[in-house]
Amino acid sequence: MTAVTDPLATAPVSAPERFFWGLRLIPRIETYPAVLAFAKTFVGKLMILGLFGIGLWYLNWHYRALTLVLAVITAFPRHRRVLLTASTLVWACGLWWRWADHPQLIQVAIVLVVAQLLFWLATGFRNSWFGRRPVAGLLAGFALLVLLANYLPRGGSLRTVSWHFLTVAAAYLWFIAYSLLDISSKSCDPFTLQVGTYQPFWGSTAVPFVKGAAYLRRIEAQNAEQLAVTQLKGLKLLVWAVILNLFLWKAFLPVVHAYIGIPLYDDIFDLSMRRAAFPWYLGWASLIAHFFERLAELSIMGHRIVASCRMAGFMALRNTCRPLASRSIAEFWNRYYYYFKELLVDCFFYPTFMRYFKRRGHWRLFAATFAAASFGNAFYHFFSSLHYIEELGFWRALEGFQSYIFYTIVLAVGISISQVRERKIENLSWIRGRLIPALCVTGFYCVLSIFGDSSKRYPIQECFRLLAHLVNLIH
Amino acid sequence: MERKAAIREFLRTLLVRRRDRQPFSDETSLFLSSRLQSVDAVVLAVFLEENFGVDFAAMGFDPERVDTVNAILSLIEESSTLLSG
Repeated sequence: MTAVTDPLATAPVSAPERFFWGLRLIPRIETYPAVLAFAKTFVGKLMILGLFGIGLWYLNWHYRALTLVLAVITAFPRHRRVLLTASTLVWACGLWWRWADHPQLIQVAIVLVVAQLLFWLATGFRNSWFGRRPVAGLLAGFALLVLLANYLPRGGSLRTVSWHFLTVAAAYLWFIAYSLLDISSKSCDPFTLQVGTYQPFWGSTAVPFVKGAAYLRRIEAQNAEQLAVTQLKGLKLLVWAVILNLFLWKAFLPVVHAYIGIPLYDDIFDLSMRRAAFPWYLGWASLIAHFFERLAELSIMGHRIVASCRMAGFMALRNTCRPLASRSIAEFWNRYYYYFKELLVDCFFYPTFMRYFKRRGHWRLFAATFAAASFGNAFYHFFSSLHYIEELGFWRALEGFQSYIFYTIVLAVGISISQVRERKIENLSWIRGRLIPALCVTGFYCVLSIFGDSSKRYPIQECFRLLAHLVNLIH
Repeated sequence: MERKAAIREFLRTLLVRRRDRQPFSDETSLFLSSRLQSVDAVVLAVFLEENFGVDFAAMGFDPERVDTVNAILSLIEESSTLLSG
């Protein structure tokens, strides 16, 4: 296991920063020898697991089952990876059994068999096109299947079966991609261990938390001391999630929406679409509140998942780590949703950068950034919302996706410029060197979020209209 | 030794750019620990391509293989073997 640090932890800081970042709500208990020694004992482990279970209970997240699984893995650390696979498969049965109106266990089994076949093909035929570009093959194949399913006659059983299968396949797509990427590693895990990372029991979205088997190998606790440190950090992260959850639901939302009376962002957007009048400053207040709500929700979800992963003995990095302290657009992207960024970097950025435009200097970086932040980002979100494609048809769904495509293009331009532009801050004051850049970066993402709502499909002209209203150009 | 010194110096420059002046050993994780980021990985890749003739298009790029000074040295060795073979 490598020492995992927060990106800012190693940086020298100025006096105001030392004051702010030096404040700790939760002390660094993992550095106290007495606490560490206690965490290694049977009673200590029991206590950590108990406290963790209470945290999960508060967050309303399968606390009984998850605590039980974590207890078993803590008790048998030598069999951690095998237990991870077993627990993940049991978890998957529970997860997909409850799926919508009927269970999808057969589809899950088919997806896993297909994944194993692809893994075998890519391993056994390394010099074939698929062997050299397994992730591109996987993604192209999936997109083609979705396109073909789109043309199946509506109301037919073949269409229903196909979309059920594709929905489950979409949930596993990026996990399989990580397995295919692992094939080039010297110490690639067998497929049985790869399965443990597919929608693991500690929770995930379609974005693999926490990456794939290669990452788990690297961050796994190797001895009792590392396990104790990892679990203490896991517990601390869960406490953070609880604190954030309390703040969001007991303070921020009641104060902002009930006490001050700032309308919900969806309501503001509806008012804008119905051409109803509202003051521009109310629009800004609603947008900013919505931006921070989403940030807090993402942090809570990421902290909970990574905390559970740490409790299982893997010292994973946090998903969201002080995004508001970012001084560049690229830095914010890295800190806001780390595992999504990593997915795009691993599947799109590196392959493009290493293969194309090798003699074109900055263009090489631009192309790779566009491949990840724009194309990869749009691809992920378009194919994650299969219900839109099923309902609207492939091409109409793509048409309705234009505001998100615009969002990814602006994002890619912003990240590209931010990567090329190097800012020297050594001689700048805290206000000019940190505060103003952080406000500008947060402002950029806040405004851009008007176009970047992937869960709702607002027409792009309506997004521009709201933006024009916010800057008081129209009423 | 010269090769290792050049790599260490280059990595040190990348870390300083991230305001990271902490020391690092030949086995210290730099990318998987998040001390360096993806954009640094590509800067390092270009450095290795230009100075040591590593062809990532042929070898494939895995951040794990450039994560430590020793891993980078092994990668360069492997690349030289691949080219001479």
